[in-house]
Amino acid sequence: MAEPKTLGQMLEARGISRRAFLKYTSYLASSMALGSVAAKAMAENLASARRQSVIWLSFQECTGCTESFTRSVSPTLEELIFDFISLDYHHTLQAASGEAAEEARHIAMRENKGKYVVVVDGSIPTKLDGAYSTIAGISNLQMLEETVKDAAAVIAVGTCAAYGGIPAAAPNPTGAVGVDQLVTDKAIINIPGCPPIPEAMTGTISYILSFGKLPELDHLKRPIAYFGDNIHDRCYRRPFYERGLFAKSFDDEGARKGWCLYEVGCKGPITYNACATLKWNGGISFPIQSGHGCLGCSEPNFWDKGGFYKPLPAPIRDIGKVAAGAAVAGAAAGVVSAAVGRAKKKSAMKEGKS
Amino acid sequence: MNLIDNTPSALTGVNDSLLSEIADRLGEFAQTGQSASIDLRSLPMSDADREDLKERLGHGEVMVKLDVAGLSEIWETSFAGVWWIRHFGGDDQIAAEEINIVSVPDILHAHQADARAAASRLSKIIQEERHHG
Repeated sequence: MAEPKTLGQMLEARGISRRAFLKYTSYLASSMALGSVAAKAMAENLASARRQSVIWLSFQECTGCTESFTRSVSPTLEELIFDFISLDYHHTLQAASGEAAEEARHIAMRENKGKYVVVVDGSIPTKLDGAYSTIAGISNLQMLEETVKDAAAVIAVGTCAAYGGIPAAAPNPTGAVGVDQLVTDKAIINIPGCPPIPEAMTGTISYILSFGKLPELDHLKRPIAYFGDNIHDRCYRRPFYERGLFAKSFDDEGARKGWCLYEVGCKGPITYNACATLKWNGGISFPIQSGHGCLGCSEPNFWDKGGFYKPLPAPIRDIGKVAAGAAVAGAAAGVVSAAVGRAKKKSAMKEGKS
Repeated sequence: MNLIDNTPSALTGVNDSLLSEIADRLGEFAQTGQSASIDLRSLPMSDADREDLKERLGHGEVMVKLDVAGLSEIWETSFAGVWWIRHFGGDDQIAAEEINIVSVPDILHAHQADARAAASRLSKIIQEERHHG
């Protein structure tokens, strides 16, 4: 029997209904703030799309990004993203090894020339001609150049692939850099985070599959749908910030009462990511909810920004002091920030409805 | 193991604004048929806010459970046309939660492609039964 041509046909043969498509895209559209209209369009488009060839390159990394990706969504929904993509090469996940693995990469590049997507996790060492990290006898630098040459797009997942990350922390002994410092002639999407939120990875790939184009990106090439708001604006502790109620240490009354962690170094106000809304481990929690400030891991050079427990400069804090005691204003600010978030995503919604 | 949940139990006041928005959208739907959705996960709501909103919207005449890629619960609130949609993943965690203002949520409709596959399957079953009968 010939292989079904579209994802809809392929999954229909396995008894997976269009309701499952719609549930999956409802989840993704929710994570991208695209709304139910876009979810319906995504489901229809996904059903008529073909499997996307993906080549995943792991360079100077800790495998945390892959760990995150394979825990995307819940087990039954997770299976769907692996049905939608053909993961043709991935060191950690593929069964093949050695020459057979490299052959799989070359076959995928040849058969899907100009159409495949390259996912990169880990930074690329550039000192000593890239000798600090090699795979199959060639440097990461060479493998990146060779593989992206005929790619349709490159997705840099994790802060290391996006900006160099921890390997690039001072004094950056290997000369580690992110993908977009080396690849200048391809469409690049950065999905930073240490690790990135799984839904940001699967959602972005599904968006490309559904609409045949890249999602709207910010100035750091991050999808606005996931990185358009800062953690602080969407944090459930923000009402405490507005009232001037802060934890002063990790064991004081404020910490026990769940007050704002600004004064113990939370980087939420300057960190753009979706942790406060999507959360982690199936939406159970995120660092701030667990009592620790945001480290700012989705921002460039987060490791070298002067200390995780050092409060941000005073001007931001003063905003909270002005509003001290204004409980109602605090609640209203939360709603306003949500409205602002929606305004920022207006163009993304338009794309979703197109 | 006891995990400390620091989610504030206090109401933040977000629901007053949210209810006004739902009322506006419902009014528009009643007048023009324009449907709308509000994603609850993207709002800075506390657990107490969520429970409060559930209570204030109440339950209406329709309650549906879906078993598709994990469970889903959908109910019409006590306000006709305002639906609460809650999708669970396979691990019973809430994967998506939204308010839909619409006649019937899309996911309840049988898709033509599913109907075609079902028609084909049913015909096959009948043919096989006749053959063996």
